[in-house]
Amino acid sequence: MHALIDGVLTGSVYALMATGLTLIFGVMEIINVAQGILVILGAYFSYTLSTHFGIDLFLGLLITIPAMFVVGVVIERVFVARLKGPEKTAMSILVTYAIALVIEGSLNQIYSVNYQQLSAWYVNKSFELFGVYFPYIYVYGFLLAVGLLSALYVMLYRTRFGASIRASLADQAAAALVGIDVKRVSTICFGLGVAITGAGGMIYGATNTFNASSGADLISRLLTIIVLGGMGSLGGALVAGILMVTVEDIVGVVWSPIWSTMSFFIVLVVVLSLRPQGLFGKLSSRVA
Amino acid sequence: MAASTLLMIGSSSGAASRGHAAMSPIKIGVSLSLSGDFSADGIAYKQGYELWAKDVNAAGGLWGHPVSLDIVSDASSPTQVVTNYQHLISVDHVALTFGPFSTLLTLPAAQTAARNGYALVEGAGGGPSIFSAKLHNVFDVTLPVAYDLAPFAKWVTSLPASSRPTTIAYATSNDPFTQPVVDTAASLIAGHGIKTVYNNVFPAEATDFTSIADAVVASKAQAVVIGSVDVPTVSAFMQAFEQAHYTPKVIIATAGPDQGAAFIKAVGAGNADGMMVPNSWFGGSKNPASQKMVKEYIKQYGGTAAGVNADIAEAYSVGQVMAAAVKATGGFNNAKIISYLHSGVTIQSVQGGVKFNSVGENLAQTAYTFQWQKGGTTFVEVNPVGDKGAVKVLYPKPAWGK
Amino acid sequence: MKKWSNLWWLAGLVVALVLPLVMTNPAYRGIAVYTLLFTACATSWNMFSGYSGYVNLGAAVFYGTGAYSEDLLANHLNMSGGAALFWLVPLSGVVAMLIGIPVGLVALRVRRHTYVVITIAIFFVFQLAATNFGFTGGTAGLTIPFIPWMASYFDVPFYYVALAVLIFAILLSAGVRRSRFGLQLLAIRDDEDRALGLGVQVAAVKLTGYVMSGFVIGMCGAIYAMKQGQIYPQFVFDPLFDITVALMCFFGGFGTLVGPIIGGVVLESAQQYLTVTYSSGGSLYLIIFGALFLLVILFMPRGIVVYVKDWWGRRQSRIESSQTAATAGVAS
Repeated sequence: MHALIDGVLTGSVYALMATGLTLIFGVMEIINVAQGILVILGAYFSYTLSTHFGIDLFLGLLITIPAMFVVGVVIERVFVARLKGPEKTAMSILVTYAIALVIEGSLNQIYSVNYQQLSAWYVNKSFELFGVYFPYIYVYGFLLAVGLLSALYVMLYRTRFGASIRASLADQAAAALVGIDVKRVSTICFGLGVAITGAGGMIYGATNTFNASSGADLISRLLTIIVLGGMGSLGGALVAGILMVTVEDIVGVVWSPIWSTMSFFIVLVVVLSLRPQGLFGKLSSRVA
Repeated sequence: MAASTLLMIGSSSGAASRGHAAMSPIKIGVSLSLSGDFSADGIAYKQGYELWAKDVNAAGGLWGHPVSLDIVSDASSPTQVVTNYQHLISVDHVALTFGPFSTLLTLPAAQTAARNGYALVEGAGGGPSIFSAKLHNVFDVTLPVAYDLAPFAKWVTSLPASSRPTTIAYATSNDPFTQPVVDTAASLIAGHGIKTVYNNVFPAEATDFTSIADAVVASKAQAVVIGSVDVPTVSAFMQAFEQAHYTPKVIIATAGPDQGAAFIKAVGAGNADGMMVPNSWFGGSKNPASQKMVKEYIKQYGGTAAGVNADIAEAYSVGQVMAAAVKATGGFNNAKIISYLHSGVTIQSVQGGVKFNSVGENLAQTAYTFQWQKGGTTFVEVNPVGDKGAVKVLYPKPAWGK
Repeated sequence: MKKWSNLWWLAGLVVALVLPLVMTNPAYRGIAVYTLLFTACATSWNMFSGYSGYVNLGAAVFYGTGAYSEDLLANHLNMSGGAALFWLVPLSGVVAMLIGIPVGLVALRVRRHTYVVITIAIFFVFQLAATNFGFTGGTAGLTIPFIPWMASYFDVPFYYVALAVLIFAILLSAGVRRSRFGLQLLAIRDDEDRALGLGVQVAAVKLTGYVMSGFVIGMCGAIYAMKQGQIYPQFVFDPLFDITVALMCFFGGFGTLVGPIIGGVVLESAQQYLTVTYSSGGSLYLIIFGALFLLVILFMPRGIVVYVKDWWGRRQSRIESSQTAATAGVAS
């Protein structure tokens, strides 16, 4: 029971972090391995705002999210947009990896390698409901994740811009034919993906101790979430994120923590053998 | 680019020379992880070595020669560590070598040093794999890790039955240097009226400890032993405990609370109060050499005595042991240094006595247990009970956030 | 043109053969061994991923399996540290290939872009397995008997064994490229659906290519394990290895025969040398390395080999056109 609650609460935050990755892949066929370090960058933004300017963590997101959007747009315009040709996806991994190195090195220089954690009154407090303690930060994080993901959903399905993103998700060439500015859509998508990641970074930073090297540990989990959910599927990322944490927690409690991470990967391999496209993915026959 | 690299190789190997006139600087080679997974400890080690070099030079140098440290980074990679030590020895022509940080990197470093006939004096490679390799040239100045929790086990089992915890939980990382510590403690504590209610190993690479911490909470154990490897591990447990309003009577973690200011910064002083950790050294040690070192450290880097990382003392001790060997053998002959260090002599370091057995383990030291007290403002020795300088354990541990 | 390229290969071989005799400093010999190993891995990786377009970012699965096989075999056969351990190297390569069969069956069911990510996910399964299973020694890793050679000699046998493996990898890659099988891989890279339509047994071809590439990479892992003395799960199943090998191929020229060789030789030697020489400045070198890396990818996106060829071609045509212009001028 407790594992289930924890799975939903924590899993949604992982989903938030993975959403940017799956959105960017879905629209642009770019695998952004800098996602892990961008989470950490978001956490450091929140850290700076809260320690140096005394701005509340959640209030600070009003600054962090737009700032991360700009970071995303710059990365896309300067580097990612230049990638073309059939090896674009593989090249994108190398380019974003190099970007991750530069960001990691810079964060190390600025903040030193000492571990940090975000603090606020609600970070270590909890409330009791039906005999179970709910940590505020996890509940707030869950609400934030649900809020942002719903906003994203509304934007995708209820606005014209969303329609053009979805068209690009389905088929870039066709989208361009009907007059959608695919380049602009790509830039904004990348920005959005990174911006959402910044919000995930704040929650990550409040629930984990981090330094610049923590980004490398995150990226493997985020990648497996989007593979399980189906590459490019937003709903898939949410389900897979929650599934991952729940499976790990249940195995950890019932059996042994040592097998918890492993169990998730076993689920992944089984799913992939039966459904190579992931839980909610579409079987792509697109030729690059 | 390939061609220019080769050119650089040619010119730099010709430039250095081995011979040194009297009073020419003596080079000591070290590879440390200044970036990557071990970077926090790597940087602390660098400070420790530099502090030692500064002291030695102020006192007239090593056997009359000023010491210059040749420190390169291995980015926490064992491949790079091999290249680095070989480079230090055969290109930079260092006279002596000091160890890197972490056992994981110490073995490849020690083997490379062994092939070149160099002694590798180190402070961080205390894992069993170092000593089971039976290399003749490796010397670990720090107590081997397995018995770290013995004084704690002795203290907790000797508490009067009325106040002794009745249940205990163990959660340990499957790290090769942490698991033996916790296993030894569990075997020492078993059968003293303390029931084990939870005992589990979690993967070393775990990033999310909530479910494990929740399981410990559910066990309602009165005592908790966390086999942590660093600050993030222990802070994750502490956070989950506080959120669940669960305060055991005693919590000891194998690593994390020993990191001084870095620990306090991550968890907050209020929460640090009562947290215990085993170690071979602490900033408040009464050892006069240690007090002198701490004073100099604070002068140079700021902070408080309690905030000085134990890595600093380990690195400093490495320098002291090497200095004693150089002095005793009258020079920088590594073969002589190796046989001197194997001779059974006891050398004094800031961490206490150092005496090596045949595989380079230092069994002369005792382990201590330390605790954060007075609202997390002081870090004091509490075990072994009755030791000079040991104060009373803050027991039971105060509630979180007070 | 053909003749010239043969001469280049011959010259490269001679240089490689005499290098350890000229370069006697063990520090540089050590770097040379790592360089040969990485170059062999890059060449073999390119033989599948470069020709077929299926970018494998889990090549460390082979490398780690090879390394673990070497140590496990040595320990089970109670061998002592010495040259005899080299006999286990090809055997470890075979083990890596065998492991590659089920992995390939799962991973190769999806198309290229998804395949990239799945290889990464499967890679992590292996890393976790090595960390958590008992027979792999867990996080403590495995040790191989200490080889008691002196530093002045130690790297020489490793150098020639690694060189032999590299030559084998190059010959294999060249052979595949000229064979019918190689043409099928290239057809898949150009248009998989069309290749299928033309009757290419796409699934079987892909699996064969994938498994074949595992042999050399597994052998390199085994040599690394021998040289290193001790292996840990996170260092032989290393995500950096995956990225480094791919980078070498893209840097030199993806899908070309020479590209991975140039990429491997330049990047590995430069990286090892730069780290040991300039790393005292903390994280600064991370920033510099990342930035350099970005510049190369952005300005030479198709690799050095293609870039130089294009540049040469443009130069030639410019000379030709200016000559034509000159002749035209004279004529008029």
